[in-house]
Amino acid sequence: MSTDQDKLIAELVEKGLTGDMESINSIEDRVLRSKAKAALAKAKRAAKSQETADPQKKKSEEKSSDDFSSSVNLNERIENMINEKFPGSLVNKNTETHIQLKPDQWFDIATWLKSESSLSFDSLQCQTGIDVGDNILEARYNFHSMKHKHYTEIRIAVPRQEATIPSVEQIWRIADWFERETYDMLGIEFSGHRDLRRILLPDDWEGWPLRKDYQVQETYHGIVVPKMKEGWE
Amino acid sequence: MGVVHGEEMVLNIGPQHPATHGVLRLQVRTDGEVVSEVTPYLGYLHRCFEKHCENVTYEQVIPFTDRCDYLASMTNNFGYVVAMEDLMDIKVNERVEHIRVIMAELQRIASHLLGLGAFGLDIGAFTPFLHMLRDRERILDLFEMTCGARLLYNYMWVGGLSHDLPVGFVESTYRFLDYFEPKIDEFVNLLVHNKIFVERTADVGRLPQDVAISYGVSGPNLRASGQKWDLRKDDPYSIYDRFEFDIPVGEGGKGSVGDCWDRFYVRVLEMKESIKILRQALSSLPKEGDVYQSLPKKIRPPIGSIYKRTESPRGDLGYYIESDGTNIPYRLKMRSPAFTALSVIDEIAAGWLLSDVLAILGSLDIVLGEIDR
Repeated sequence: MSTDQDKLIAELVEKGLTGDMESINSIEDRVLRSKAKAALAKAKRAAKSQETADPQKKKSEEKSSDDFSSSVNLNERIENMINEKFPGSLVNKNTETHIQLKPDQWFDIATWLKSESSLSFDSLQCQTGIDVGDNILEARYNFHSMKHKHYTEIRIAVPRQEATIPSVEQIWRIADWFERETYDMLGIEFSGHRDLRRILLPDDWEGWPLRKDYQVQETYHGIVVPKMKEGWE
Repeated sequence: MGVVHGEEMVLNIGPQHPATHGVLRLQVRTDGEVVSEVTPYLGYLHRCFEKHCENVTYEQVIPFTDRCDYLASMTNNFGYVVAMEDLMDIKVNERVEHIRVIMAELQRIASHLLGLGAFGLDIGAFTPFLHMLRDRERILDLFEMTCGARLLYNYMWVGGLSHDLPVGFVESTYRFLDYFEPKIDEFVNLLVHNKIFVERTADVGRLPQDVAISYGVSGPNLRASGQKWDLRKDDPYSIYDRFEFDIPVGEGGKGSVGDCWDRFYVRVLEMKESIKILRQALSSLPKEGDVYQSLPKKIRPPIGSIYKRTESPRGDLGYYIESDGTNIPYRLKMRSPAFTALSVIDEIAAGWLLSDVLAILGSLDIVLGEIDR
């Protein structure tokens, strides 16, 4: 019966989209009528968002390029310099918001980022790990220069099976704790880190909580671990 | 005089210890009474903030940010909503901007008051703590008047505020400022020039500027090391570029630049600057303006990511938000200033006496809720 109802609603929505509201308004059953109206509103919104999605995206891109006009130029400049000094370590150029690198030469590039006088990124502001899906984990670094007051973001993607990135803990000391946190939450190994332990979770915790396929362990030292709720009820 | 070597001992301070400002365990390796190594163990207050954020909608994240730095909830809200508004390209009206700045600066004073009081308490000065809490109470009254809560406000929303200012708020705030401004000199007399306090803090735990930057130390702790760095001036957000105020930096008034005393004194001076900002913001506060005007019906930021930094009382508070176009954050990372400040403790506490370690820890003004998240 519910499939009949669904079919009916679908028909009514199609009529409604073409401007025929009569057929919906004339339904006797109050529940069915409100259901049809809700479905119609949803369909209208979907159509609208599809129309506006492209211009909106364009707008946000324009905005970001406006706001960070200096940083876009800076990213381009850094990309060119990296290409010259460390050939082959850049992944697809011309990303406006960030610089995408391969992990192999990361330690040398990082050393250079700090020591190169025209860049002198002396401050590692933030280091994040993200599970971007498709078996890829990504480490993201936000750098800032106290001297030049400029800013950039660097991303390094690694496959889950061999999630290893050279550690920059000896270049920026704060990377010590940042990398430990990323290791703790996503299980990205930082090779060359002198003290890579979990930082927020207990040492014997199982799994990497911020990976998207994370399963909570059932018990921890005999304590039942409460399950994560799916969404918010 | 030769150095006397005692027996090496490992000592645990915390996790339940009044001087650790929460649940933090410091494993201290001592040689006699001289500390050779401090290893912090975190996570006792870990509440899975970032994991929770991936399961709730964007507006539901705001109460969680309250609970991270529970001594500066307003500025935590502020950082998050500013980041979200940047991501979604929302512009809020003048009145909202002004109210936000007023709240953030009041919060800065309240947070510094507690931080300074607790610092005094850590090294044995009990009276100043009571004086400072007494005045902090007045700020909490102002917050209670505005949004009903005294500690966890959930006051700033993406695109607006939860309440407009109540009748009489501006007058009450002026009254508070008139009352509070002369009180700062009282604190100065109570602690800053207090001989015992100076002996305990001057020259102790010096944090050189380059080390501070390398460890990501920010806010008053970095400024005390002589680096003029304040996001309100250097990367202005909201309407901070309109106000006139100075950035106090450590000058080594009693000892050398970057010592515990400097970290204390910079916070005292910062309260004066906050009062300056408050007076300007109150006088230019527009009478008209709906605080719900730019609230979005649905919070669905476009696909993309943003890293936004704001100046919380403890330093650079950053939010890294990755959006996949739905109403739930794909990944939300909080870059907490107290986390980076605590990481430096081993570097600056080694070589000092055990009692100095507590002074150094107190001077960093950490909040464990924000470190463990």
